Amino acid sequence: MTTVRETLAAARLGGRIYWRDKQALTATVLTSVGLGIGLPVLMDRLRSGDPSLVVAQLIGMLAVVLTLSAFNQSAISLTFRRDQLILKRLRAAGLSDGAVLGGELLNIMTQSVLIALVTTVAVVNLTSATAPRDPLLFTVFVVLGATVLTLLGAAWTVVIPRAEVSAPMSVPFFMIAGLGAGAFGPMGQLLPGWLTTALDLLPTAAVVRVGRATFADGTFVDDLQAAAVPLLILSVWAAIALLVISRRFRWEPRRS
Amino acid sequence: MAAIQVDGLRKSYGDFEAVKEISFTVARGEIFALLGRNGAGKSTTIEILAGFQRPDGGTVRVLGLDPVKDRAKVRKSTGIMLQEAGFFPDLTVARTVDSWRDLVPAARPRAEALELVGLTEKAGTKVRQLSGGEKRRLDLALATLGRPDLLFLDEPTTGMDPAARKATWDVVTDLAERGTTVLLTTHYLEEAQRLATTMAIMDRGAIVASGGMAETLAAQTGRVAFELPSGVEVQDLPVDVTAMEGTTVICRVPDPDVAAQTLLGWAGERGLRLRGLEVRTATLEDLFLDLAGKEKA
Ligand SMILES: Nc1ncnc2c1ncn2[C@@H]1O[C@H](COP(=O)(O)OP(=O)(O)O)[C@@H](O)[C@H]1O
Ligand SMILES: [Mg+2]
Repeated sequence: MTTVRETLAAARLGGRIYWRDKQALTATVLTSVGLGIGLPVLMDRLRSGDPSLVVAQLIGMLAVVLTLSAFNQSAISLTFRRDQLILKRLRAAGLSDGAVLGGELLNIMTQSVLIALVTTVAVVNLTSATAPRDPLLFTVFVVLGATVLTLLGAAWTVVIPRAEVSAPMSVPFFMIAGLGAGAFGPMGQLLPGWLTTALDLLPTAAVVRVGRATFADGTFVDDLQAAAVPLLILSVWAAIALLVISRRFRWEPRRS
Repeated sequence: MAAIQVDGLRKSYGDFEAVKEISFTVARGEIFALLGRNGAGKSTTIEILAGFQRPDGGTVRVLGLDPVKDRAKVRKSTGIMLQEAGFFPDLTVARTVDSWRDLVPAARPRAEALELVGLTEKAGTKVRQLSGGEKRRLDLALATLGRPDLLFLDEPTTGMDPAARKATWDVVTDLAERGTTVLLTTHYLEEAQRLATTMAIMDRGAIVASGGMAETLAAQTGRVAFELPSGVEVQDLPVDVTAMEGTTVICRVPDPDVAAQTLLGWAGERGLRLRGLEVRTATLEDLFLDLAGKEKA
């Protein structure tokens, strides 16, 4: 079996469980979609007539939603699967390590992209916000962002000792991502300059930057120019995540 | 080429040496038992052979390959039943097997896999509702799904009732007759004695005895035990007494049948009865107790 086929087989198996776990799914989907749609709709009511504010709010929330549904979900799912010895079982089935992880992450990434896109479509339809001028590029960066965040979540499991602490240990990240993306309104303006610069290097910031460009006026060439640096940022984060995973990923619960 | 070749294998967890320079060879088509108490290092050894862990020293060859570097290749022809691995508790037995068939090339049909381990009736049951022994059988079904050339079984019958255990032994014997090489670990000595042609006994990370099962046992002493008839002194008996357990006389002798005949003749001449007479050829248990005794001495 090729790696791709193995990965898809692992994804099908993981998916069979994943999409059936109604409780976990409801929690993630409701939280993400609720936040992602709720705040921009609220903003629209408060400041009706200023679609740019609504779009800014939407894009800020996308950073939060992607972090929750990709990064946090990936870190939490994988630590649980690890502690339940399911990752070990899948390796015993003869799947390559890449296929085991890839299969798990593919489901999470797909869910995350769906949540982000549903949120966007809902906000565009429910508020004065306009649709992105370049929906394709927007979608491409949502997918890239979700992928990198999912990988980073897998890398983060390296420091998570047990499944029970995986959720609390992953919480700070969506706050940071939201802060950098302007999801919490003008609070970002109070931050010191160095911190703003640092926050701009986050993977979510890369998605936000392209998101803003694809919603704003401009041409396709402008969009591509705006996308260059974000693409670089995402690539660097992906490389870091893959390096950490390949060197340090723990397949079994800690015994000591 | 041997199915498994281990030379000077070492593995430590922190400061703790779990496996200390062990060496052994498993020939193709044989059933090899790795025996030992809990914590002896059996699972660590099997997990290294299956490529789950890296050895700290020594060399390991499985089907002529390095199990860590060539894991993908080794896995294609091996099946492994880990001592402990998770299931998806909400899938049914049938669904679990189906999912696995998706992962394993050229897998057995589901019906055949379930039949093999006697779980046909449980096909519609959720895994979380299975007993420990039934889960173990499902484990065996998954491990043998791809008809592997080499099968690792880590404590395969833990939690099984005697009938299931017997059935599992039959499955393993049958697979071996069809040419599958089996490496199994167990602390049930009877299991090893029934199944294995070759064995190695591990104790605290080292191999303390190894060889062909039949030869090793033949080289061991057998055991004759009986109640000391009243009015008889131990020194009057026509055999060398190894130990007394209460009023039970225990003799360890190379040939227990001959010793028993001598005893019966002697008792018959004197009109004595030998109550509770027990005659046993050597078992692995004797070997184990011997080893434990030597260690204390
Ligand atoms: N991951 C680990 N970390 C620390 N100690 C371990 C680990 N795995 C096994 N051990 C220790 O190594 C020894 C051998 O374990 P194991 O190979 O599982 O023995 P067996 O299978 O013979 O019962 C035991 O003392 C066990 O506690
Ligand atoms: Mg063990």
